[in-house]
Amino acid sequence: MKKFGRRDFIKGAASCSAAAGLNLIEGIDPLGLVSEAFAGTVRPVIAVASNKTPEALTRAAVNAIGGMGKFVKRGEVVVVKPNIGWDRVPAQAANTNPDVVKTVVMMCLEAGAKKVRVFDRPCNDPRRCYYRSGIQGAVESIGNPAAVIEFVDDRKFEILPIKNSTTIPSWSFYKPAFEADKLINVPIAKHHNAARLTMTLKNVMGLLGGNRGNIHHDLDIDIAELNTVVKFNLHILDAVRILTANGPQGGRLRDVKAMNKVMAGTDPVAVDSYGATLFGITGYDVPHVVYAHKLGEGEIDLKKVRVINV
Amino acid sequence: MRVLRRLSQVLVFLVFVFLFLNTEYKDNDVLPYAVNVFLRMDPLVAGAATLAGRAVINLLWPALAVAGITLFFGRFFCGWVCPMGAILDFADASIFRKLKRRVKLPANLPRLKYFILFFLAASSLFTLQMVFLFDPISILIRSLTISIFPGINMAINSLFDALYFTNIHAVTRVSEPVFSFLKNHFLAFEQPQFRLAALVGSIFLLIISAEYFQRRFWCRNLCPLGALLGLLGRFGLTRRRVGDSCISCGKCERDCRMGAIGGDFKSTNASECVECLDCRSICPEKAVHFVGRGRPELLPVNAGRRGVITSLAVGAVAAPIFLSEGYRKVSDPSLIRPPGALSEEKFLDRCTRCGECMRVCTANGLQPALFEAGLSGLWSPILVPRMGYCEFNCTLCGQVCPTGAIKRLSPREKRKTKLGLAEFDRSRCIPWKGESNCIVCEEHCPTPVKAIRLREEQVTTLSGEVIRIKRPYVDENLCVGCGICENKCPLTGHPGIKCTSRGESRAQGAELLTTDEG
Repeated sequence: MKKFGRRDFIKGAASCSAAAGLNLIEGIDPLGLVSEAFAGTVRPVIAVASNKTPEALTRAAVNAIGGMGKFVKRGEVVVVKPNIGWDRVPAQAANTNPDVVKTVVMMCLEAGAKKVRVFDRPCNDPRRCYYRSGIQGAVESIGNPAAVIEFVDDRKFEILPIKNSTTIPSWSFYKPAFEADKLINVPIAKHHNAARLTMTLKNVMGLLGGNRGNIHHDLDIDIAELNTVVKFNLHILDAVRILTANGPQGGRLRDVKAMNKVMAGTDPVAVDSYGATLFGITGYDVPHVVYAHKLGEGEIDLKKVRVINV
Repeated sequence: MRVLRRLSQVLVFLVFVFLFLNTEYKDNDVLPYAVNVFLRMDPLVAGAATLAGRAVINLLWPALAVAGITLFFGRFFCGWVCPMGAILDFADASIFRKLKRRVKLPANLPRLKYFILFFLAASSLFTLQMVFLFDPISILIRSLTISIFPGINMAINSLFDALYFTNIHAVTRVSEPVFSFLKNHFLAFEQPQFRLAALVGSIFLLIISAEYFQRRFWCRNLCPLGALLGLLGRFGLTRRRVGDSCISCGKCERDCRMGAIGGDFKSTNASECVECLDCRSICPEKAVHFVGRGRPELLPVNAGRRGVITSLAVGAVAAPIFLSEGYRKVSDPSLIRPPGALSEEKFLDRCTRCGECMRVCTANGLQPALFEAGLSGLWSPILVPRMGYCEFNCTLCGQVCPTGAIKRLSPREKRKTKLGLAEFDRSRCIPWKGESNCIVCEEHCPTPVKAIRLREEQVTTLSGEVIRIKRPYVDENLCVGCGICENKCPLTGHPGIKCTSRGESRAQGAELLTTDEG
């Protein structure tokens, strides 16, 4: 990820003033969002797409918050980070929907990305997870050499400090995620017995090295604090199918619920807070979402979030 | 003609290496090749497993074919097919090329292989199957799996890691594409690591080193498979015969890698000759033939009746002694067999310790046994969950077992097969000690309805604080003993949850206990 530098500020300021001069339709107001983000106090926006094919859901959600072109610039290297944690098939809703991942990758390419890399650090055998999740096949089916799915390379982890951490002062993180120009988070919404739910905030675990089991003693705090280190440029939450019990791995089709939704936004707390409602609870019921909100990672109160339904 | 034999050796060896490299998960739940075919065409393995297991094992039909062909064409397998033989010939042509052998070995040394063969036959007859110690294919695949391949893999990885960490662009620009090519085609997905790697590997290296004394030292003197094929092929059609044009120059006798030619240069020991055709090629008078007219002059089998009877007796006596080992009475709780393994006795009757299952195991969890199954169970496969767990949806070990010691299971059957059960060590498990939450085991538990479940309980900590903690419990009806909980347990040293063979499906005659749903 690139830091937000002086040039970006000037560009942003320019688009703000451009937006002021235009009268765009409510709901598809990309430039307006830019101005909101710069103001800092304005409501975060998330898009919720419903009842379409996975591809159409993904496109609708991302387009509603300004389109991929707003996040990915021509010639950039993009990392797309789905959840490919388990040796499960798509119908079991343990990994991100392969069509959603494929669409995100294609949208990045359409926006002019030079290279799109897809990876995760799975819990089961990586080969089985990549293959059986359908994600390997989906990315390869694009047939564009600029889009690659690759296994995590053990040599490329780096220990980074977690500033102001209460439990883990430092941890090893996967460098290629940080070296990319843009980092896009594409998790699936699932039940999780320790974290209650796993959505955008918890998906950061896949970029960690080391024995991740050691993070589980104070899991909720740790997830929130890890999100202060890893910053995604865009979060796309897959809720085409959600896993409602026996997560995060699942396996029983009875625990899978078809929701036919995809959410998108730049505020992970807001996206997760909305995601929680799909399970009949709120963001306040999910401790790590509450912690992340307290750490200033985003807005938990959906009343303060602008939700664009498409 | 000798060219043909060499070509055959090279081609067969390449096939062998190809199958070895493909004994691995490659985005395929069912392996596309019969990677175990070299073991399945081994009449020694087939004979021992059939005798000891008291069963006709359909998988082993290729061995019957090899035995049949041997009846007609002699001990050609050793000269033309055997990958161990090819390695030894290659060693002679390379490392030992300049060597002048001066050591004189006893003339009766070749008898040893018959003694070994008859020992194995007798012990197998009395259901002690020790063929793994001497079968060349078994030794070869086991050594490659457990020690040679992991060693090569580690060396290459270290080399490219070193290049990578130089951080010199000119270096990595070349080394990284080469490395990724090697990774995709030759190297292991993850570095395999096995217990006893050095020991198992040294035996293989000793066999090669023995070439110092003689060409094909192993094949001439020790190999019981060679002995068996020699006896079978003794009256084959393609035996060495020498025509009248022989000038008794003795070149063939001096050059014979098997020492199969008699002092008169005309007679041949047909159970020793591997039909390498060297004598035919080097004969200055073209007097040597393997097909066509002329009666072959045969030398008697160099076995010795007394020795044969003794080795039969030793085998017959060894069987009850080994079978009365204490390990067979009370089984070691850490003796967790692969999914689909037959009941322990039948399993050991058939298992040839070839290491195919260990090679193919996706998580590197199958390891050679030390003494968990007694001395007669040495190197048989056991799951060591701390090293690697059994992948819930994987059925590869049953697909590669050449003798059916591990049954081939459908994915559905596999998911219902219990290898054992997990048990918490409440004096170590973090939530049980009342320290904090953890649940790593629960998260990884693969059964569709989790066999590890959590219950929130009120706990008073050492400092007197009252807190609520999620404590894990094992539902023994659902647990399949795959060991992922033990594998992923974040505690160093002894884990907080441990799998044992208690409750394994095969204990009840290998019928399957069922979990909720597949």
